[in-house]
Amino acid sequence: MQVEEKKIGKLVILTFLERRIDAILVSDFKAKLSEVIENGNNLIALDFSEVEFIDSSGLGAIVSCYKIIGKSGLIVICNLKDVVFNMFQLTRMDRVFKVYTSNEEAINELS
Amino acid sequence: MKAMILAAGKGTRVRPITYTTPKPMIPLIRKPVMESIIEYLKSYNFDQIVVNTSHLAPAIENYFRDGERFGVKMAYSFEGKFVNGQLEGKALGSAGGMKKIQDFSGFFDDTFIVMCGDALVDIDLNEVLAFHKERKAIATIVLKKVELDEVSKYGVVQTDKTGKILKFQEKPKKEDAVSTTINTGIYLFAPKIFDFIPSGKEYDIGSELFPALVKANASLYGIEVPFQWVDIGSVTDFWTATRMILKHEIKNYPISGIEIKKDVHVGINLGINFDKVDIIPPVYIGSSTFIGDGAKIIGPTVIGSNCYIESGAVIKECIVEDYTRVSNVANLDSKIIFGNKCIFPSGEAIDISESDIGWVVDDARKEIELSETQKLLYDFIKETEKIS
Repeated sequence: MQVEEKKIGKLVILTFLERRIDAILVSDFKAKLSEVIENGNNLIALDFSEVEFIDSSGLGAIVSCYKIIGKSGLIVICNLKDVVFNMFQLTRMDRVFKVYTSNEEAINELS
Repeated sequence: MKAMILAAGKGTRVRPITYTTPKPMIPLIRKPVMESIIEYLKSYNFDQIVVNTSHLAPAIENYFRDGERFGVKMAYSFEGKFVNGQLEGKALGSAGGMKKIQDFSGFFDDTFIVMCGDALVDIDLNEVLAFHKERKAIATIVLKKVELDEVSKYGVVQTDKTGKILKFQEKPKKEDAVSTTINTGIYLFAPKIFDFIPSGKEYDIGSELFPALVKANASLYGIEVPFQWVDIGSVTDFWTATRMILKHEIKNYPISGIEIKKDVHVGINLGINFDKVDIIPPVYIGSSTFIGDGAKIIGPTVIGSNCYIESGAVIKECIVEDYTRVSNVANLDSKIIFGNKCIFPSGEAIDISESDIGWVVDDARKEIELSETQKLLYDFIKETEKIS
């Protein structure tokens, strides 16, 4: 899986350079997030600007990482395309995770 | 009098709905659009109606059959063939479809009407008939003014003072359009029109027949009178029309069912305690539907028959088709649930199987078996959103 990692202040921004986050990529996805968390980061922004499709396993991976990070940290989501945003909305994930319309917005608020 | 309804199109702009339902059969609160057209034609004594069918033809033919139930006589002209055990549509175009019927039987022996099967209209056809006969026209098009931004979707015309059409442009660019007066897809023809349509080939009314008539300086007229025209040309149109009906913005469109309180229409055999479900009108709920205590239904919303809406569900401004299960954790906001798809008013869609969101919304007849991931998500949302 192709991911770009950037750190601004305390905030780690992971930009997924993949069109689909689905069952095929889920173990890579979880591994990447676990690695970032194990390195002591607890403020993570998932930048989905390139992602056009996510399925339940993708959403499940985000929730698993949210559980690992627990109350001591925060995972937020940035740049959701229409279809992906609707997946979040339909499942109420948009109410559990803070969703930003741009990376800048997340940086301003969190870094 | 005789009529033809054009129903052979693939309805590409109404996909994904038209993958399974032909455009004329798209239900506007349980009633296919074409049924309203037949009632309308009948009210003006057009009682012999031939329908050209192609894409998903059986859905149309099996519903209307010989028309007896609707007080008219109906027949079908199928465009396509049976290949390897399957029907394969091959539409001839609107004019080609007319010509096929005429070549077969000479059916059209006097002034006749041709209409698209996908729009609700209330124009006074007697006025159009009088206009057509007065001018001894070979063809009369019912016209309407639209906003300049919309012209590129339609055939645009320019007329002289008498209504004679001087120019006809099919779907022009906004900057090239000669006017904002457009073709609504309602036509009166004299049988002489068939002299201008070639046999046995694809031929279109808008892009071929009308430009040919203008070129031949034939008596092609357009009439523009105010009337309501609700075209179901796209997913957005379907969405808008359904909302308009619920809000009583479409004249004379009866909403079926029993009105249990203002603007809440329901079917029979319901599993709903209306004191415990939060319903904000206008809402239609079909027969044999269950809605759990505590669910929120916010109008304008249509919920089909045999649906199962769990108690935590929130459904706001949606069209939900028959046999849909909406789970406790679902938040449906401005969605059309149709044919295993969750469609947005823009036409974009989430495929329920591909996205694996059967734990949120699915066919109500399916056994509920959550995978490990689905269960993790379901429990997580239920817990964090405090859904009982």
